[in-house]
Amino acid sequence: MSTLDTTSDVPRRPFSGRRVRLGDLLLQGVAGLAALGATVLVGLIAYKIVEGSRLSISTFGLGFLQRVGWDPVHNLFGAETFLFGTAVTSIGALILATPLALGIALFLTELAPNWVRGPVTALVETLAAIPSVVIGLWGILVLGPVLLNDVMPALHSALGFIPLFGPTSTGASVFTAIIVLTIMILPIVSSISRELFLGVPSELKEAALGLGTTRWEMVRGVILPYTRGGVAAAMILGLGRALGEAVAVAQVIGSFSGNGISWNLFNPGNSIGSELVNEFLNYSTTLELSSLFYLALILLVFSLAVNLLAQVIVRRVARRQGFVS
Amino acid sequence: MPKHGMLIRSILVLAAAALLASIAVGSAAAGHKSRQGGTLRGAGSSLVAPAFSIWAPAYQSAKGVTVNYSSVGSGAGIAQISARTVDFGASDAPFSTAQAQGCVVNGVGCINIPWALAATGPVVNIPGVGTLQLKLTGPVLAKIYLGQITNWSDPAITKLNPGLNLPNMAIHVVYRSDGSGDTYAFTNYLSKVSKQWASQVGYATTVNWPTGTGGHGNNGVAAVIGATSGSIGYVSTAYTIANHLRIARLKNASGRYAAPTVRAIESAASLVNSRKIPKNFVGGLSIVNPPKTKTHKYTNAWPISTFTYVLVPLKTPQAALIKSLIKWVLQPAQQKSIQHLVFAPMPTVVVKAAEKALNKISS
Amino acid sequence: MSAADATQLGRRNDRLRRRHAVNRGMELLAWLAAAIAVAILGIVVVSVAKRGASQLNLDLFTKTPTATAFTLHPVAQGISNAFVGSLVIVGLATAFALPIGILIAIYVNEFAPGAVKNGIGLVLDVLNGVPAIVIGIFVFGLLVVGHGQSGIAGAFALAVIMLPLVARSTIEVLALVPNTLREAGLGLGVPRWRTTLGIVVPQAVGGIVTGAVLAIARIAGETAPLILVSSIAGSSVAWNPIHALQTVPVAIFQLSEEPDPQAHARAWAAALVLVLFVLVVSLVARWFATRSRRKLQGAR
Repeated sequence: MSTLDTTSDVPRRPFSGRRVRLGDLLLQGVAGLAALGATVLVGLIAYKIVEGSRLSISTFGLGFLQRVGWDPVHNLFGAETFLFGTAVTSIGALILATPLALGIALFLTELAPNWVRGPVTALVETLAAIPSVVIGLWGILVLGPVLLNDVMPALHSALGFIPLFGPTSTGASVFTAIIVLTIMILPIVSSISRELFLGVPSELKEAALGLGTTRWEMVRGVILPYTRGGVAAAMILGLGRALGEAVAVAQVIGSFSGNGISWNLFNPGNSIGSELVNEFLNYSTTLELSSLFYLALILLVFSLAVNLLAQVIVRRVARRQGFVS
Repeated sequence: MPKHGMLIRSILVLAAAALLASIAVGSAAAGHKSRQGGTLRGAGSSLVAPAFSIWAPAYQSAKGVTVNYSSVGSGAGIAQISARTVDFGASDAPFSTAQAQGCVVNGVGCINIPWALAATGPVVNIPGVGTLQLKLTGPVLAKIYLGQITNWSDPAITKLNPGLNLPNMAIHVVYRSDGSGDTYAFTNYLSKVSKQWASQVGYATTVNWPTGTGGHGNNGVAAVIGATSGSIGYVSTAYTIANHLRIARLKNASGRYAAPTVRAIESAASLVNSRKIPKNFVGGLSIVNPPKTKTHKYTNAWPISTFTYVLVPLKTPQAALIKSLIKWVLQPAQQKSIQHLVFAPMPTVVVKAAEKALNKISS
Repeated sequence: MSAADATQLGRRNDRLRRRHAVNRGMELLAWLAAAIAVAILGIVVVSVAKRGASQLNLDLFTKTPTATAFTLHPVAQGISNAFVGSLVIVGLATAFALPIGILIAIYVNEFAPGAVKNGIGLVLDVLNGVPAIVIGIFVFGLLVVGHGQSGIAGAFALAVIMLPLVARSTIEVLALVPNTLREAGLGLGVPRWRTTLGIVVPQAVGGIVTGAVLAIARIAGETAPLILVSSIAGSSVAWNPIHALQTVPVAIFQLSEEPDPQAHARAWAAALVLVLFVLVVSLVARWFATRSRRKLQGAR
């Protein structure tokens, strides 16, 4: 995806030994400046976030990551609750979305009759295009009440012995956020998987079927191993999307950042993204603002790491399978 | 292709131009009125926002000045005026020392002047309990918000409400997730009635809540309470009325289970008559939890009443417009015009002090 | 057949039946997964469509929000200020990001040596991977602290999000332009810059427009950075980006948290408009793309 294969192999010597064209220099200069600007921009983003968090880093150090609670009255701030919330919501969404996404992808490539393929693919792409604030709106007004009144009590009475499914509180909860995030990352994981499955050479598939395997055995023995790396990358990209999602989560997670970590998914919670959305305009002290920047720094580092990991996997897969993008 | 391309391109350009033109005409028509007298931009407290829905149109017709008010919470109001993004801020919490320092730009600081008087109060959503039926005391309320009382059938609550059939239902605490003057007044009250609250949590526009779900703005809290059975939250009175929320009575220091009426708020505000008004209102006027007195002065007082302040830089190019607005708002007629939203007219001594403080603002 | 052969045959048949059963089970699971996914997606899409359509009226576009809904008589409300603000901010963002993105693509495709090419590719990837909220915080620290919110800050934040999208898609389209065109131009003595700007880029214009339009569709719904840098805006219609401007996604966010069902109604209607805008624009862009790609490939 990021292999910049240009087919241009025109000689690139800016000075050809003959007349130096002013226009060429100008175009190269201006365009080069733009490219340089983009590079500077990335550096500037990193710099600004680090600079903003400097006060908090010097006050709390790495202990910030383990401290619980956000207290502007006593000027004590910590990221633990938000890290926990981010981890639970993102990983929970990935766990729910991956089998669904793979199921859809397999369905579309192997099982679906032709007249179904188009509409279902269109539906998945439509969902990808819906802005996150609209999904958050739906989460508050449609999903929340349904979960609060029907689903969560049912899960609690059936599975209440597991601490994950404790007593219910409000429609805004970690569980609601997980469902919302699942819906949001489903399209990206399933469409990438679908393209990967479509790219499996048909000779391999037909060979397996010709040897007498059932369709499932062919999927398990040919398609999944062949696309293993790409599917992993798709999952990681989905995880990255979930990590970065702030607005929809802020709308449905309940904004609770208090004094403890609760494993009860039905309690309200908070993620790094939702805390940033809710608190950034409301800081009371400079240390609080700096701590918010510190949270942003943590989120930035995680997102970049996840994104780069996905790129590395994609490149390794492409190399191994001789893909030309 | 070239022929079709040109056609398509020209159609798109024409459509875009038509759309822009219609929007321009529409907004020009809408904006025409406001361009006559000037515009003031303010942001902050959601408690005072209902007052602006009455004041802004009235001021527009009286003086031809448009007042644009954004209800974003007192915390954001303080932050925005400190950044001089708006012409005035609004907050139910006065500047803290640090915030007053933060509002200094180029050596010019800010002043908080009270311009309205209202209240915030506990609201509940309990099946079978109507408005003003539930009775609570300060200590019990603090325990609920500390997470120590977790069920509506707890004896501490049923003891206060012998006539009510309180269900065996978990209490879901709701608070303001944004920087809020209601939070300031509410936690100020809790700090006065509960030593544990004062030492563990304290009072400010944002605190470290021991338990509960957050709602954004008075509206957000009202929304969560409306949607959650068994919930309790604190909402300023105008919003409780508009959204038909059920208010709980609160036992004041004189022993009466008060209700947040205009009279009760006025009674609490009369506290300022026996206290010295600080110069330039530095530190604000706290009127929560009026004490018991031998003369039964505050028998019916609502214990979580609060003034709400306008935040203005001491030197501002918009000084004339702002001073004129504040003077107009302080008039008895304007103070009365918002009474149906449960704002009480401010005591005369406060109005006089506010008018005097206006002279500190210059351009 | 001997007894041993018979049992072997029997065992093989058992295995075969089991394998077929497993296969059918898996197929059912795949159908189920697809059904669940379609159901969820369908519910979301239909919810937005149904609730939005029932509340959609002209007031949404022509009336401004009143300060709060506390007036004694009901007042017709809308979010006209949000539509105007979105128009201004998205327009400015496009004006920032489009030329710079195209220039970056030109540099990468026409001038940059291999290592630099990969380096810029990495830069674009990193930029793409920064979460929108972090970009909002960056712009907050850069432009808002000390100066206050503004529509320009909002446009800048959206431009930063748009930049890698536009640059990437333009790079891909420029790469599709066949070398023969460049060589022909140079062979005729046309200077390099003229070939690039006058021959290569116009050939790719269809794809460039497509990429730009898709990027616009993407940032039209972007909320997080705008909440931070352009959310405290008044209720009247404003065009001047020096001050913060209300935008449609932020309006939806604020309306979604209100208790008033009327506010919810406006939120649904605005959501429907936004979704329709994004969808229609994406569809038009893709249709345009297939046409221009066909044209490019036909020229090869």
